[in-house]
Amino acid sequence: MTHVIEVRGLRREFGDFVAVRDVDFDVERGEIFGYLGANGAGKSTTIRMLSGLLAPSGGRATVAGHDVGSDPIAVKRSIGYMSQKFSLYRDLTAQENLEFFGGIYGMAGATLRRAIDRACERTGLADEHRKAMTGALPGGTRQRLALTSALLHEPPIVFLDEPTAGVDPASRRAFWRLIRELADGGTTVFVTTHYMDEAEYCARIGLMVDGVLVALDTPAALKARYVPGETYAFTGRDLHAARERTLSLPGVLAAEPFGARVHVRFAEGHADPDMIARHLTEGGGRVDRVERVEASLEDVFLAVVGEAA
Amino acid sequence: MRQSLAMLAAVVQKEVRQTMRDRRMMALLVMAPLIQLIIFGFAVSFEVDEVPAVIVDLDQSHQSRTDLQRLLADRTLVAVAERPSVPEAERLLERGEAAVVIVVPRGFERDLARGRPATVQTIVDGGDPNRAGVATSAVTSYFAAESEARVRARVRRANARLPEVRTSSRVLFNPTLDTSVYMVPGVMAMLLLLITTIVSSMGLAREREVGTLEQILVTPVSSGVLIVGKMLPFAVVGLIDFGIALVVGSVVFDMPLRGSLTLLAVGTLFYLMTTLGVGLLIATLSRSQQQAFLGGFLFLLPAALLSGIMTPIRSMPEWLQPWTLINPLRHYQEILRGSLLRGASFEELHVQLITLAVMGALVLSFASFRFRRSLR
Repeated sequence: MTHVIEVRGLRREFGDFVAVRDVDFDVERGEIFGYLGANGAGKSTTIRMLSGLLAPSGGRATVAGHDVGSDPIAVKRSIGYMSQKFSLYRDLTAQENLEFFGGIYGMAGATLRRAIDRACERTGLADEHRKAMTGALPGGTRQRLALTSALLHEPPIVFLDEPTAGVDPASRRAFWRLIRELADGGTTVFVTTHYMDEAEYCARIGLMVDGVLVALDTPAALKARYVPGETYAFTGRDLHAARERTLSLPGVLAAEPFGARVHVRFAEGHADPDMIARHLTEGGGRVDRVERVEASLEDVFLAVVGEAA
Repeated sequence: MRQSLAMLAAVVQKEVRQTMRDRRMMALLVMAPLIQLIIFGFAVSFEVDEVPAVIVDLDQSHQSRTDLQRLLADRTLVAVAERPSVPEAERLLERGEAAVVIVVPRGFERDLARGRPATVQTIVDGGDPNRAGVATSAVTSYFAAESEARVRARVRRANARLPEVRTSSRVLFNPTLDTSVYMVPGVMAMLLLLITTIVSSMGLAREREVGTLEQILVTPVSSGVLIVGKMLPFAVVGLIDFGIALVVGSVVFDMPLRGSLTLLAVGTLFYLMTTLGVGLLIATLSRSQQQAFLGGFLFLLPAALLSGIMTPIRSMPEWLQPWTLINPLRHYQEILRGSLLRGASFEELHVQLITLAVMGALVLSFASFRFRRSLR
């Protein structure tokens, strides 16, 4: 495996505010690397530094072998970038947008036409959408267009900053299928998201809290480390009153409200859901159903944020 | 190099597509200057006539009535009322219903008949100095001519000769002293400034606000190519506007076209470099479209006032005069008026032309430097 992105001690300050604090990580070729964190945790700032948009205040990062601080132009040639805000021209047709962005990568004439056709084929952007005015396209198609535009010059690395924000679930799923196809074809995908279900698709995940990269691993490893044990979900009525008291029961690691339900996590081998159900009922609630649930990345996220706070 | 050209072509094509598609933008770029030139050409004029006057004729004699009638005959002054006393007349001045009071003293006819001096008084509203000056000088010159006629009559009767200096004046270039002919080139210069500065500052500010600028900036396109590409279409629009203004100026206002068109085109191009560059500079200094718009006005107003279009630069305070040299509008209006009205040549205007070219290059490079820096 080769590292296509290497980040060492990367730092960015805005005045007194440290947006990204001495971050280290590597990304492998063809990997889907997820970057998770709350809004303002420093995800976008990191991505903007790695795309050559923002100069680092300290540290070093190389993208496709080029240093982002000293050679941003070479970095820009090797990456595709999709911003979290839709940033193509709404008053141009999809085709015109593609012609413009292909053009400012230096392509023209037949080369440009071929590149556009090839990119559209990769992302499945239909001909009728290419002729339509961009502002009139539905959200999902717009995202697809933005990705097409980022792929025109066939970059080995793409940065996607919250690519599915504000897109309907069906389009999100379709979009992630595209991302996986890209990675299968050898393109490295660096993606930020705050949808935890999407993060499951990533090969590795970095978790950012207040500018610090607090955890970095595969989803399975993160779950094993931050939410060990077995988790049971209790469904019923008025369970929350007794929830906190279950924390003092033997073998219970955590008891968290999860919508109307309560998730209780036991240490490995100490699971005793019946005892919990009894306690919740004694507290005045009614338990209708008990089931074993897999820990989610959301649990990881809550555990990590709780630990960092 | 070939790649840079492809990038430039892509930027130009995109700007043209967006502009052509936006009907309101096209209207702003082409129709607005046309209409404004016609309206302002008529409105911006120094000619003052029909100044409302109040008559206070304390003499009520044949002589006083004759003189007043003749004074009012050319309609520079128009009698709006007659009052029996000065305080009553002044009230009309205070209320703004009149701009001048003309007082003919008691005994006017008698004094003149006896060869004694008589004093006609004017009281003016100084709030509008230009109008006040016109009114006073109308009264003064009328009675000066009257007195001269009396003196001449006397001298003739005495068989004596009057030693005198006569003045004769001949007006070159604008024989009828029509102010529109002088103002229209000035208005043209201001309109070009207004449109190109606003268009370039708003264009860039909008891209930044909408987020499209960021998408451009992750591409390898250089800021120089980007800026030139964004400016070129609007420089062309400016030249087209200039052509329209020339035609309208000569058809509607009889503005002469004495100088060379090449000189005008070159001067206009240099001028547009400065105005587009200033627009760009404003955009790099502002965070939103609103700020860019306000910034544009903060520049436009002083630029117009300190250009010499409305008021001669020589009549500005001494310390202010050198500052007008950094105003591109000043140099451009000198080129326009010089070339259009006087037929001035390259040699006569080369200082202005070189100044504009240098200014344009400086502003554009400073703007692109700021632009590059504001991104990081």
